[in-house]
Amino acid sequence: MNNPYLPIPVTIKKITIENEARDIKTFDLVFNVKKETEKFKYTCGQFAEISMLGIGEAPIGIASSPMDEDLVQFTVKKYTTGVVTSALHNLCPGDMIGIRGPYGNGFPMKDFEGSNLVIVGGGFALTTLRSLTRYILHKKNRAYFKDITVLYGARSPGELIYKSELKQWDQRDDINVHLTVDRGDKNWKGRVGLVPNVLSEIAPRSENSIVLVCGPLIMVKYTMLPLMDLGFKPEKIFFSLEMRMKCGIGKCGRCNIGPKYVCKDGPVFTYKELQGLPQEY
Amino acid sequence: MENKKFKIIKKKEILKLLESLKKEYSIFVPIEDNGDARFSEFKSGQDIFWDYRNTKISPKEILFPQAETLFCFGPGAEVKAEGSTPGGKDYLIFGIRPCDAQAISLLDKVFGGEDFEDPYYLERRKKTTVISLACSKPQIDCFCTSLKGKPENEEGADIILFDLGEDVLAGAVTKKGEKFIEKQNKWFKDAGQSDVDKKDKLMDLSLNKIKSQIDIQNIKEKLDNAFNDLLWNEIHQKCLGCGICTYFCPTCHCFDITDEINPKAADSKTPEGKRVRCWDSCMYPLFTLHASGHNPRPTYKERMRQRIMHKFNYCPENFKEIFCVGCGRCIRNCPVNLDLREVLVSLMSLGSLCKDKKI
Repeated sequence: MNNPYLPIPVTIKKITIENEARDIKTFDLVFNVKKETEKFKYTCGQFAEISMLGIGEAPIGIASSPMDEDLVQFTVKKYTTGVVTSALHNLCPGDMIGIRGPYGNGFPMKDFEGSNLVIVGGGFALTTLRSLTRYILHKKNRAYFKDITVLYGARSPGELIYKSELKQWDQRDDINVHLTVDRGDKNWKGRVGLVPNVLSEIAPRSENSIVLVCGPLIMVKYTMLPLMDLGFKPEKIFFSLEMRMKCGIGKCGRCNIGPKYVCKDGPVFTYKELQGLPQEY
Repeated sequence: MENKKFKIIKKKEILKLLESLKKEYSIFVPIEDNGDARFSEFKSGQDIFWDYRNTKISPKEILFPQAETLFCFGPGAEVKAEGSTPGGKDYLIFGIRPCDAQAISLLDKVFGGEDFEDPYYLERRKKTTVISLACSKPQIDCFCTSLKGKPENEEGADIILFDLGEDVLAGAVTKKGEKFIEKQNKWFKDAGQSDVDKKDKLMDLSLNKIKSQIDIQNIKEKLDNAFNDLLWNEIHQKCLGCGICTYFCPTCHCFDITDEINPKAADSKTPEGKRVRCWDSCMYPLFTLHASGHNPRPTYKERMRQRIMHKFNYCPENFKEIFCVGCGRCIRNCPVNLDLREVLVSLMSLGSLCKDKKI
């Protein structure tokens, strides 16, 4: 019987510090055994358990795109109370860790084809949306999707992650990128304002559109108001949720919202699905 | 039950039978231990505690141990999964009460499942034969008949036994049970009608001893809209959050996964140790605490609600089964006498007075 609890060894190839506070890092991971790369087939929005022997495991969303070959990326924020994330941030390129997965339902990419996509991210929760954006911008996939709008906000300019990639996206003419910060600084020439307010201002059209929202709960909650005003239907709004997890495979019993397990029935839910679930997340 | 072919075996012979099976099986039997009953691996010369009421700790620990090593790691060593049964022997669980046998059939649904299988539980389970002992000792807080149970409930058992005093009546429930009895045929005789009559009488007596009867017929539907009910503010008031109800519960299956490091090798660059899973409890605040500090179930109220809803609403939704067998352990062992039956009765009254109570 296949043992889902065994982590697969990977080596850290590169570590990128993403923000000014230096507590968000992107880890480029390569499987030690090449065969495992092919086995680790994932879709945008899925996650994996990052495993450090002697420390523990933590569920982290996959930041790379399924189109990226030979490596898997995770962007991890360090929490001082987070045992695994703290230990992970102490590692160097060349160090070995484990991952197991991919887990969760991911975004239904096939269903999105032929639609406009509005991508709304806040803080470091942009990770799985970055996976999705990379995927749809890939030359093999771009034609399947219509207009793409990205709205991304962070507390301050220094806290925006994936800066160089955001710049690249901005330079393309097949995607609209809007960046905003809660508070600017003297070098910031861009927009200042909270994500929900900026969303009202840029007012993407809801007709034939899908919205994907990832961010702090408070942002997600207040983003619903402009989305409803703009006429987006609850079944066209997608979220990715976070929960404390252990097993990642629906056994250990802690990540449920009502009868749904975030690890296997989620982490992606539509607003309509969430409306039918208890507010316990 | 009516057309079952029953066999009969002398009680004294059972010890000899188990003795003869020791090479083939790891055998677990109820034994007396400081006035309580518990399951223990059968040793030569050991007596079986035939008259036990029920064990304090549920026998789920045989298939789903309180702590078990998932794998070991160390310098130079690959990650190595542990074998699931000691010595690779098959398991024989002998004399488990019908409520606990039914609980095993519920755990099967959790650890099996369509999408992911739990190899540790399932491999052990596959090798296990369950011989249950029909209940003649219901306790004051037993309420199995309010659920699916009864003193001679067969669910989860391969063979069911009835203690008739000198003799023990045995009936195969599954093919596995049939084969077991066939193989051990020399120990058994065909039962006569008088034995079966004796059994029926015993079960009638036993059924009458279960005084606790609550009507929770459509509890799942009642709870469908109860999440935001004000009643949850009251239900949890007594609760200390000690989690004993979940530890003793034969159907509770939530677990934690942690790493244990060999202290001698703690300073080494490649840690040596093991990854362990152990029982966890939804009654603890850390159960759902995020690293960010956010906790979706921050108080006793949400945690108590989770425990009840998980058993009586979420599991019926996901597995079409209530995850309670009415064994009464959570009632007997609760330090503040928080009685699950009272909680269920009050939940059943929901909607009968005023609708749409919201917090």
